Amino acid sequence: MSSWKPWVAPAALILSTSAPCFATTYLTLEQAQKLIFPNANLTPANVTLSPAQRKAIEKASDTRVRSAEVKAWRAPGGGWFIVDEVLGKHEFITYAVGLTANGAVTQIEVMEYRESYGSEVRNPKWRAQFTGKTAKATLKLDQDIENISGATLSSRHITEGVRRVLATYEAALK
Amino acid sequence: MTRPPLPPLLKTVRRGGTLSCLFLAAVAAVWTFAASGTVHADEHLFGSLRGAETLPKGHFDLYQFATFRTGKAAGVYRGFDFDTELEYGVTDKFQVGVAAINHYFHTRNVDGLDNDSRYRFGGVELSGKYRLLSPFKDVVGLAFHMESGFLINDEVGGIRQRELFFAPSLILQKNFLDDTLIFEANVGVEYAWGKKPAEEYDREFSAQGALGVSYRFAPNWFIGVEGRVRSEYPRFDLEFHEHTVIFAGPSLHYGAKRWWATASWGYQVYGNEVDEVVSNKAFAEEARNEFRLKVGFNF
Repeated sequence: MSSWKPWVAPAALILSTSAPCFATTYLTLEQAQKLIFPNANLTPANVTLSPAQRKAIEKASDTRVRSAEVKAWRAPGGGWFIVDEVLGKHEFITYAVGLTANGAVTQIEVMEYRESYGSEVRNPKWRAQFTGKTAKATLKLDQDIENISGATLSSRHITEGVRRVLATYEAALK
Repeated sequence: MTRPPLPPLLKTVRRGGTLSCLFLAAVAAVWTFAASGTVHADEHLFGSLRGAETLPKGHFDLYQFATFRTGKAAGVYRGFDFDTELEYGVTDKFQVGVAAINHYFHTRNVDGLDNDSRYRFGGVELSGKYRLLSPFKDVVGLAFHMESGFLINDEVGGIRQRELFFAPSLILQKNFLDDTLIFEANVGVEYAWGKKPAEEYDREFSAQGALGVSYRFAPNWFIGVEGRVRSEYPRFDLEFHEHTVIFAGPSLHYGAKRWWATASWGYQVYGNEVDEVVSNKAFAEEARNEFRLKVGFNF
């Protein structure tokens, strides 16, 4: 029977050392809204982009617009709460962006992150780099946004996503 | 110049059918983790290529590869390779790995090999990968990979040997379409000593290259095609060509949060060697088909 051991051992090792599953949702919609606009009553204000708006956003942000639907909420005083998705390594990363009435980022929050590595993008210090950015900002990794070593793909895609959200504000929400 | 027939193999008594347990266990492992959510860094999209990414500092990857090589000019040849590999991210740019290699052979009426079914411990390999450019940030991803190992049984027939090899290679990776379309290319060489008596000559130089493209057609899923070429030159003599083979075929990859799996099929589309070539294929050291299943877990 010992002849079985060489075959079974590797698989047994894999099974015995497996990691438990991880939660993927860090913030619900309501929690993200309360973090970005505390005590504010947000009004749903979804927008469907026209082909011309999509084209303008893609040109301004140099990113692809995957969906014509913009999940947006209006805040009292003219601010915006927008939920967006960018590609992670294998699944989408869902995050929320708060904008002032003038289109400057107030805060971003990562709502769902499903990748095994790179969750450092949830780090408040990294996210704080976006505060105050407008559509005029460069918003590029290693330029005005620091890369997170070991989380480069997520850092880059979120940076590009915020750039697209700001271009969306200019083209369709302003 | 013709290679002499391979020396007779040591015979060991072994029951057939035990191989299935590893595959069942691997499948079980996949399904055990299927409910655990979604993905991963040094993840292999292909059966024979490596990407330019490296593990983040302080993280581990555990891989189990199973390769099934089958098809010779005549007879029944089934060669199984089982590589169990552990990798560790020393820094965000540099990772090291250690692997244990096992083989199982089932041969009937194959030229140069005894009729036998046998398990052999292949040996141990060490590796390191240093990322020079990131595929996510730079114009192109570039990494240097170095592999070295000590092999006590050869992978063709499980013949006893004491082989030491060094295999440096370069890895290129270019991503398109938000990192959903990925090209990878590997090119490298290998220097090996101690290949006797599994082969006629003690020293051997080989050059190899591989190219693949994979597309993320759905969340978690990549489908691709890949090809690889390998040429071997005994005695480190480039004028002494032993054989060249080209394999090509499809690959399918699934990545979840804590694990990934890749299945690939490589078909020998071209082969040329000093021994008799049958239907444009080289069979002395190579098989007609290579099926590979890789399962990786990250921590």
